[in-house]
Amino acid sequence: MLHKRLYQFVLVYFIGLAFLFTVKGVFNLSDYVIPGISDIYNTARRVFARYFFDVLNTLSVAIVGHILSLAMATVVGIIGRLSNWMGSLIRTAAFNIQAYPIVAVAPMIFILLGDGLSSRLLIAAMICYFPLLLSFIGILSEPVTDIEHFYVHSGRMRWQLEVKIRAFENMNKLITVVAGSATLAMVGTIVSEFIGASAGIGYSIRIALYQSDLSKILVALFLIGIFTSLYLAVLELLGNIVSRRWGKLEVKGERQKA
Amino acid sequence: MIECKNINYRYPGAQNPVFNNLSCRVGDPGFHALFGQSGVGKSTFARMIAGQLNGFAGEIAGKEPKKIYYSYNLERLPGWSGVGEHIEKVTPEANKSGISEIIESFGLSSCMDSGFSRLSLGQRNRVNLARYLLQDFDLLIMDESLANVDEATREQIIFKIKAMFPEKSFLYISHSVAEVSRFCRNILVLRDFSKSPQTLTIEGRDNVRGTDVVKKDLEQTMLEIVNAS
Repeated sequence: MLHKRLYQFVLVYFIGLAFLFTVKGVFNLSDYVIPGISDIYNTARRVFARYFFDVLNTLSVAIVGHILSLAMATVVGIIGRLSNWMGSLIRTAAFNIQAYPIVAVAPMIFILLGDGLSSRLLIAAMICYFPLLLSFIGILSEPVTDIEHFYVHSGRMRWQLEVKIRAFENMNKLITVVAGSATLAMVGTIVSEFIGASAGIGYSIRIALYQSDLSKILVALFLIGIFTSLYLAVLELLGNIVSRRWGKLEVKGERQKA
Repeated sequence: MIECKNINYRYPGAQNPVFNNLSCRVGDPGFHALFGQSGVGKSTFARMIAGQLNGFAGEIAGKEPKKIYYSYNLERLPGWSGVGEHIEKVTPEANKSGISEIIESFGLSSCMDSGFSRLSLGQRNRVNLARYLLQDFDLLIMDESLANVDEATREQIIFKIKAMFPEKSFLYISHSVAEVSRFCRNILVLRDFSKSPQTLTIEGRDNVRGTDVVKKDLEQTMLEIVNAS
């Protein structure tokens, strides 16, 4: 799983590099605009260690932000699944608020909370929160009638059981949504660092932009891609473990059949 | 006894009503049937009786039976537990002694450790029916609950239900004229909304284990049902 993710990223990265070099060659651009391979290599040797820890810093903020947004989306999704006025209010609010770009609010967050960890965390969480919330509300508010019918009419249905049934029946969708939102958490953290923070790989990219140093940006992108792929692979692995544990009887049955 | 008086119902957006002044009685103890052509409204009527469908005109009244359950053949068990574990969990304490008897007579002993999704359609329907029979019910509506089950097993299951629950009411929905004619006490034939009255009750043979049905009588009942529908 991990190697597949890494292969895919490295392939895309080098296709992008090849495209840049093609543009450089076709339009006869200088090394100042698009650096040569040796420039990129030398820059990589110089900044690799620093960028490595910058990306780790960014990734750790993204992971915490992702966990926060998952917790919030789960709680609000459980309430938003209700068919009463509260559920309706939450669904309407979620649909309307998510239409507003969080990035546009980011400067306000930096003004209010400063350029430290809390601002980065909040923006990362908010950027991946709304897509998660909409998916969670959609999944948790959709009845699985064929299973729920018995519990409802025998008076055994409780909200915990209802959430469990709907989550179990949509486990693959949930895993896909959670893994997909991890990228958004990373994007959110980098954007927040790029806008106003004083740490992380987004901040380093901003400095590189001021220096018009594409080599540094390319090195940063390489490390961001590697670490994001790693995080996605870990999430997919966790998703598989959860799926197998919950559906162990089916899995056992499949094995027996095989 | 449940009395349905002048039931009128039309699905939202539909041109024609499903029920047009439908009146009938259901819920006497015994194994009865609800019979009718596809689309005539059997499941809709069953859900109304069970209190799962509202928005109709007319009245469904009656003090007994109090606990009405409606089971249908597409129901599933949650995937996280095995069949045996689930049945054990959803059976009221007082009825737990009946689990093994029902499971054995339904031919489900080998399925107890399996996941529901691993079972055949017939096994799934039998498991679903078994868990309903283990509840405290007064009237159980069985909407094609024995679909995909072979004839011999169906016969065995119906005989077992009749022997185990002689005081309870059953309303069995099936498309098999021969089956409802042979096994059911009364067959409530539901007809198209344009026919009046919309229901007719035919007396069935109410066959129990160890007795034979005279072929001529059975054919007579079947003919009555076909003519009524």
